[in-house]
Amino acid sequence: MLTLGEYIRLYFLIEAQYIKGQMQYRADFLISSVGMFFSSLATLSIFVVLFNSIPDLAGWSLMEMVFIYAFYMIAISPMQILFDAVWFLRYKIQSGEFVKYYFRPMNIMFYFMSERFDLKGLTQLAAGIALLAYSSIRLGLVWPVGKVLILILAVFSASLVLISIAVMAGSSAFWVVNSYPVLALAWKVREFAPYPITIFDGIFRFAFTFILPIGFIAFYPAQFFLRPAEISPLFYLAPLIGIGLFALTYKVWDLGVNSWTGTGS
Amino acid sequence: MTLIHIQGLSKHFKILNRHEGLKGAVRDLFSGDYRTVQAVDGISLDIEPGEIVGYIGPNGAGKSTTIKMMTGILKPSAGVLQVNGLVPYDNRIRQAMIMGVVFGQRTQLWWDLPVIESFKILKEIYKVDQKMFDEHLGMFHELVGLKALYSQQARTLSLGQRMLCDITASFLHNPQVVFLDEPTIGLDVSIKAKIRSLILELNRTRNTTIILTTHDLGDVEALCRRIIIIDKGKILYDGDIKKVNALFGAYRTLKLQIKDYSEATLAALQDRLTGTFGAGHGITIAQTEDCWTDVTIDQARTPLADVLAFIMTNFTVEDVRIVEISMENVVRKIYDGALK
Ligand SMILES: Nc1ncnc2c1ncn2[C@@H]1O[C@H](COP(=O)(O)OP(=O)(O)OP(=O)(O)O)[C@@H](O)[C@H]1O
Ligand SMILES: [Mg+2]
Repeated sequence: MLTLGEYIRLYFLIEAQYIKGQMQYRADFLISSVGMFFSSLATLSIFVVLFNSIPDLAGWSLMEMVFIYAFYMIAISPMQILFDAVWFLRYKIQSGEFVKYYFRPMNIMFYFMSERFDLKGLTQLAAGIALLAYSSIRLGLVWPVGKVLILILAVFSASLVLISIAVMAGSSAFWVVNSYPVLALAWKVREFAPYPITIFDGIFRFAFTFILPIGFIAFYPAQFFLRPAEISPLFYLAPLIGIGLFALTYKVWDLGVNSWTGTGS
Repeated sequence: MTLIHIQGLSKHFKILNRHEGLKGAVRDLFSGDYRTVQAVDGISLDIEPGEIVGYIGPNGAGKSTTIKMMTGILKPSAGVLQVNGLVPYDNRIRQAMIMGVVFGQRTQLWWDLPVIESFKILKEIYKVDQKMFDEHLGMFHELVGLKALYSQQARTLSLGQRMLCDITASFLHNPQVVFLDEPTIGLDVSIKAKIRSLILELNRTRNTTIILTTHDLGDVEALCRRIIIIDKGKILYDGDIKKVNALFGAYRTLKLQIKDYSEATLAALQDRLTGTFGAGHGITIAQTEDCWTDVTIDQARTPLADVLAFIMTNFTVEDVRIVEISMENVVRKIYDGALK
């Protein structure tokens, strides 16, 4: 049986080979990176246009919005880079190809997710970091070591929430023949993440905090760095929510893996 | 010690009866309208280390389902199943260490990687040491000349080449038992021959237990001493291949296309064959939907050449094919008491 260290070694071995293989699709990588760049740019320009006609959004300035968005871009990268395979789960299940993941003496989620490594997510990560640096300079934020550590922890928690939402939605394919609507919904809901939760009222704010906790993806963490005075005590729950949600997601995945009976062959 | 012990093993699937349209889909969500398929129905068998067992039967007999239970993917509905003393479903990872699996035409190589890189990843997963790894690859190369394929990506290999690599990969960690589910499906004669010699050699030199399902009775004849025949989830026969060999070894089917064929031709054929070759000629005649007349001949009783010559001189035959007896016919003959 593999130890944690061996899993990590194996991961690097597989990804190094995978990236080498992907190098022949360099054009694909470049085009999708450019695409991703422009789609982020589009969101940012919506902010700019919006702020041309209004001075602030529920009390949040343009640069603050950019900061929240940059945080979101960073937080979503691990999901895109490491868990990209989740989008292919339903095909593998429908075709019966998923059966092969049971044959190796490995954790099935590890084996499945290690089969893809999304390089263009790295471009997004870099863009997010640059944008975060730019907005925090413009906002005059200072970064003592303690704050940097909290930032890392916050990114980690937010990533876990995003990964959980994607994997949980993907896992529905174990039970539903056409799981596309579930994935599409999860993908849509995620789009609310880079906005201040305070612009939503009552029921939505409650839902985005406690039911589909996308508030923890970007807003609550960013609030800590932007307006520490207004910080919701919920922020301190973020790591717990991230880890708890991922544990729950893993349970759901495991249930799916164990109850899937495959296709006759 | 027995490697695989199976006692009264069953597996059924519950299948939702789907209804049409949107209304139907909503109804399906809440309905308990299930139908059960008994895929494996109370089988018992024991397999010893080093055996090569042919596990055969017609489509839908339950072969793959049995293998999925033995490899720990499916949980049995009832019965006892132990591999190496452990329950596969509860010990999947541990069991996977001592097993090799090749499933139909689905490759387990990393699709975009050169074959050799897949092998190296497997080496890490199973913790095969370098010396053993080199030794294995050397041996495979000698047997089937694999080296030329090493630098190719799995997705660029032909079906037969990929199957060779997949089988090689399944033996890489020197497993105690290898399951091969239809390893020769869709392959040509020369690759089939290579695969057969590879399997035999690995079994001989390493005493690896092999469980093979196939629809190609040639595979069974070439590889197995013991065969298990399963149909509708139940074992029909388990034993020495010699006894059943006669069933598919001696039988051949002549497929004929007879000019101006009519019901009367069939009757005439029947009568004249009996007249010429006597009552115990062991020849059966059947008409297939696609206008062929199937004449199945037991060569132990009547030489095929004589029957063919007789038919050719007495009827106008437009086309002839000779085929080996099919799995379905073997099973039918067993039901008809051929082994009693
Ligand atoms: N996941 C599943 N869900 C529902 N029914 C299944 C499932 N897998 C197999 N079956 C059914 O169980 C029966 C046995 O199937 P199995 O795949 O074991 O047959 P097989 O002997 O391998 O056939 P073949 O030679 O065609 O591969 C079939 O009737 C099949 O339809
Ligand atoms: Mg099968």
